[in-house]
Amino acid sequence: MGRRGEPYYVEAAPPVDVNKNTEWFMYPGVWTTYILLLFFAWLLVLSVSGCSPGSAWTVVNLAHFAITYHFFHWKKGTPFAADDQGIYSRLTWWEQMDNGQQLTRNRKFLTVVPVVLYLIASHLTDYKQPMFFLNTVAVFVLVVAKLPNMHKVRIFGINADI
Amino acid sequence: MDMALPVVNATAAVLARVSAAFNAPLARAVVFGVHIDGHLVVEGLLIAVIVFQLTRKSYKPPKKPLSEKEIDELCDEWEPEPLCPPIKEGARIDTPMLESAAGPHTIVDGKEVVNFASANYLGLIGNEKIIDSCVGSLEKYGVGSCGPRGFYGTIDVHLDCEAKIANFLGTPDSILYSYGISTIFSVIPAFCKKGDIIVADEGVHWAVQNGLHLSRSTVVYFKHNDMASLASTLEKLTRGNKRAEKIRRYIVVESIYQNSGQIAPLDEIVKLKEKYRFRVILEESHSFGVLGKSGRGLAEHYGVPIEKIDIITAGMGNALATDGGFCTGSVRVVDHQRLSSSGYVFSASLPPYLASAAVSAVNYLEENPSVLASLRSNIALLHQELSDTPGLEISSHVLSPIVFLKLKKSTGSPATDLDLLETIAERVLKEDSVFIVTSKKSNLDRCKLPIGIRLFVSAGHTESDISTLSSSLKRVSASVLSDYF
Repeated sequence: MGRRGEPYYVEAAPPVDVNKNTEWFMYPGVWTTYILLLFFAWLLVLSVSGCSPGSAWTVVNLAHFAITYHFFHWKKGTPFAADDQGIYSRLTWWEQMDNGQQLTRNRKFLTVVPVVLYLIASHLTDYKQPMFFLNTVAVFVLVVAKLPNMHKVRIFGINADI
Repeated sequence: MDMALPVVNATAAVLARVSAAFNAPLARAVVFGVHIDGHLVVEGLLIAVIVFQLTRKSYKPPKKPLSEKEIDELCDEWEPEPLCPPIKEGARIDTPMLESAAGPHTIVDGKEVVNFASANYLGLIGNEKIIDSCVGSLEKYGVGSCGPRGFYGTIDVHLDCEAKIANFLGTPDSILYSYGISTIFSVIPAFCKKGDIIVADEGVHWAVQNGLHLSRSTVVYFKHNDMASLASTLEKLTRGNKRAEKIRRYIVVESIYQNSGQIAPLDEIVKLKEKYRFRVILEESHSFGVLGKSGRGLAEHYGVPIEKIDIITAGMGNALATDGGFCTGSVRVVDHQRLSSSGYVFSASLPPYLASAAVSAVNYLEENPSVLASLRSNIALLHQELSDTPGLEISSHVLSPIVFLKLKKSTGSPATDLDLLETIAERVLKEDSVFIVTSKKSNLDRCKLPIGIRLFVSAGHTESDISTLSSSLKRVSASVLSDYF
């Protein structure tokens, strides 16, 4: 023990994320912005198409599925390959997040969001058939893709490298 | 037909059952009086999985080293690519070899030929004074300098050479490089960094292009030697662009373009540079010792004060007949390079005998300005005699010592053009013992200017050399290009 009972070690700040592709997700307002984006997308769909709220949530859920699956789990590498020399060229955005550390707060948040969307969408559509099936497929694929056991796994070689 | 019907029946039955299952309401069970719908099961499962994941601690997946078997498998399936790709059809690698010094007359394949392929503009190859200074320097310092300039490789002849060149050009200081073309591709990345804007001529040679690539700046090319194109490019880049005010902007041009023989109009470039506030990097390899009343280069030729050009580089392998290069400018320009220029800091310094040869060459030029007059009269004579060559036209500037002959009517593909020109060069060598070359482009060169025959005129050529060349060229091109007039 040192002076005034302070221990001899110091707390170091967690290492900053050097990957420019994922470091934007460390900013303080990102979670709120994400949720608000989804909410405003729902409002937009509702006002433009005039369908029922449940169908609007289904549309938002499916669009969210398509966009996040493509950008988080399909596209590999970074747009900054000229600067980081392509070290992430085999990793999807999800695998690059938080430097490959699993089950961090960001990852848990992103896993919960599709589930919440699913619950809202399926509740408001009264679990009616075509929408329920599509919503279930969407949430199933997204949750499985975000499991820590799926890190760097390419099923049947889909989306594997050369 | 007998078998078809039961199959159809079976398929229909299966389909009916599947659609019934799909359309059937989900399972209904009643547990403790609460209605359980099927979706609750799915949701319950989902929430259980999520809650389980949320309660786990975060961890980093361990890095497993490869097992022996995996390493063996990877090695077995690895197929090495060749270190250099196989040479394509038609690429000629059997160039003529010189067996004596590359002066105005040289020996190729045992035969004496007139040499129009060496950039020996002042005829200093084989000059007695220069050879004497080299021999003296060799005896005093040996051959190599054995170290970069910053690590015991600086010898007094280097400092003498730098002072001499700076004195000759009228600039405060200069810095020496050990390899001619590494001058320009070290200087450009030393000053131009990522995020800067460079406006370069599209006809710059490969070494300049390499420098532009290494600098990682944004490069915008303008049409070859076209001042209107340069003005409009500069205007487009700076007009209304508030951000352009804060980043560094450069113009990179050559004084005499190696790929076309054109001379850059320096007075207009300086006017544009002052109007739009850019810095000029001028590559003077082929005009140092050639242009200007006393050979001081393009600035003297146009009467532009040398202070207006920010950075001047030149390779000393042409007019000065040594090797290496130099860069001059203001004191800050030169000082910056002593620590930040890769070619200066990380390469061994110029061998001392070459530095003393450079000093003697500049001395010779100062004492005998008449050599410039003979060079100019040789160029004028060559222009006059080659003006009516069948099938070829001179596309270089009248004062340029690089006389560039290109095909009057191109065949359409660069490969066939090159074939024709190479045939002309071979026949001229074989039949009339005149050594000429076509312009050579590497695969990395992205310059799109047409290729042609490049004649390097020297002050050491005599009138008979020039008439031999012109008569030979006219004869051979008449026969080779007879279908292409």
